[in-house]
Amino acid sequence: MTGESAFRSSNFLIPKDSFFTFIDTLRSEYRVFGPVKGINYTVFREISSSSDLFMEYQTTMLSPGKMFLYKPREDILKFRMEAPLSIEEIAPEIEKQVIVGIHSCDINAILYLDRTFLGAFIDPFYKARRENTILIGLNCMQVSENCFCSSVGAGPFLKAQSGYDVVLTDFGEDYLLEVKSSRASELFKMKGKEAGPDEWRIKSEKEESVLKSFKKVINVDGLDGLFMKNLDHPVWVTTADERCLSCSNCVMVCPTCFCFDLVDEMSMDLKEVRRIRQLDACQDLRFAEVHGGNFRLRRASRLRQFVIHNLNYTNQYSVIKTVGCGRCITWCPTKIDLTEMAKEIQRSSIK
Amino acid sequence: MKTSLLPLRAVITGIQGETEDVKTYSLSLEGSSYSAKPGQFNMVGYPGVGEAPISLSSTVSEGRFQHTIRTVGKVTKFIERFKEGDEIYLRGPYGSCWPLEDAMGKDILLVAGGVGIAPLRPVVQEILQRRDSYGKVTLIYGSRSPDNMLFMNEFDMWRKNIEIFLTVDEVPPHMKWDYDIGLVTQGLDKARLNPIVTLAFICGPEIMMHFISRGLFIRGFLPSRVYVSLERRMKCGIAQCGHCQHGSKFVCKDGPVFIYRDVSRLPDGLL
Repeated sequence: MTGESAFRSSNFLIPKDSFFTFIDTLRSEYRVFGPVKGINYTVFREISSSSDLFMEYQTTMLSPGKMFLYKPREDILKFRMEAPLSIEEIAPEIEKQVIVGIHSCDINAILYLDRTFLGAFIDPFYKARRENTILIGLNCMQVSENCFCSSVGAGPFLKAQSGYDVVLTDFGEDYLLEVKSSRASELFKMKGKEAGPDEWRIKSEKEESVLKSFKKVINVDGLDGLFMKNLDHPVWVTTADERCLSCSNCVMVCPTCFCFDLVDEMSMDLKEVRRIRQLDACQDLRFAEVHGGNFRLRRASRLRQFVIHNLNYTNQYSVIKTVGCGRCITWCPTKIDLTEMAKEIQRSSIK
Repeated sequence: MKTSLLPLRAVITGIQGETEDVKTYSLSLEGSSYSAKPGQFNMVGYPGVGEAPISLSSTVSEGRFQHTIRTVGKVTKFIERFKEGDEIYLRGPYGSCWPLEDAMGKDILLVAGGVGIAPLRPVVQEILQRRDSYGKVTLIYGSRSPDNMLFMNEFDMWRKNIEIFLTVDEVPPHMKWDYDIGLVTQGLDKARLNPIVTLAFICGPEIMMHFISRGLFIRGFLPSRVYVSLERRMKCGIAQCGHCQHGSKFVCKDGPVFIYRDVSRLPDGLL
């Protein structure tokens, strides 16, 4: 996983057919997940054959990190309520899994989730799944209209050197396959043409050309200070009051939003309580409520919390939260765009 | 590997009614190596009901400590019905503590509003245990009315070693009250503070802490010498659930005790 150093790095060209055949052989030992074309959208789900994979997909609605590593809802503890009351720890299920074809933004999102769940306090559920999941990244060539990863250093090509296992670049008939972990170098014992200067040149040319296709760009330099000076900027209230529905779609589809609620559920026979962790959202009215008050009673403060947390607060984990996947824009029913809100503040501060 | 969310079982060894809606619970975590510093909190609750962040209202000795709890929400209403000998479930301690080490050799000003006195009580207890380590210690404590004052029966003992100023917003007719009537901020003038050698610890409603801090700055305190304890909604206590985020801080991990200047002018805060 993270912090690995001693492995022979290998980078080679492999025919796509061979790669997919290899993925099929993994299915005997691993559950394999990847992008599968649906009726309207591509979704990450378990595949029964590599032919299910649709690698030329545009951003999915849900990110693989928040489906297969950090589960939207899971049981944490079980209490048997008959006297004497007993607590049963639920052991994290250890299931070996492979996720294929994760875009650069979503790999970076997983690295961000690591900071929450493998940080000051380690979450055993996340840790077990993280350790048992092989991440195969994919340098992205499918820029959607709301993508802005290139503005925040999270894509379209993956710059992180560790914390995942393999990264692929589409070379037409072949993939350029870069091994990034020791377990991947054990696993990917396949032969291919060793990558040389030509391949690195072609890779950077591809990156250059993808970079040109971004429609959404934002300069995040100095946003930290700018937001703090503009906590009363009209854009917060105007956008919130005129457009925000507090539906929390933005948070649910965000690959780095980590907030959760703990809920106790009693069984119908009153004999058992399950303590469940499930996704929660700062857009919910009760999210910051305490006795006698609510720190984010106004819709504008809740929207502002989402926007500032994503584009600012880099000193929380010394990295910007947004990975520029644009999901919160795409799936907002009223198309609220956090980059536009930031730009409005930037414009008005220049005047 | 155990989840940090696993609670411990504590036994209620005593219950002391403080006011109409506040009780102090003496708890015992027998055989555990539990220790906590003044200012830290536990997630306290019961299976099926949930958990709430509650500061320790006493120092810890051999796994024994107290929580002073006001009945206000789902969890605290449930706890309110408990009797001596009942079990309660908690995990912790979490968060930062009052800077009693840094305060050695200095004066300390404690300002409390309402149940905000609870997290400052272990500070007083610790000061009393090594009174010579600190200079002048002053407590200013304000509450809505005389019958909302906590720990009144302990103040006579505390007064031998620290100076105490009590004030209430109003006194109902026919109720006896020998102390001040008015805002907590008025206590700052009576207390004769030396801002150069004093650290201030404040706990109470955020709006009260705002005015007290402002009052201290006007009287020459530096924002780096004023400490506040913040209240936020919390579910996990371990900087993961995100509810207590305040600016880039997690109140549960980076707080609840903060240096004033680290939490002033943040969005959705009153400081």
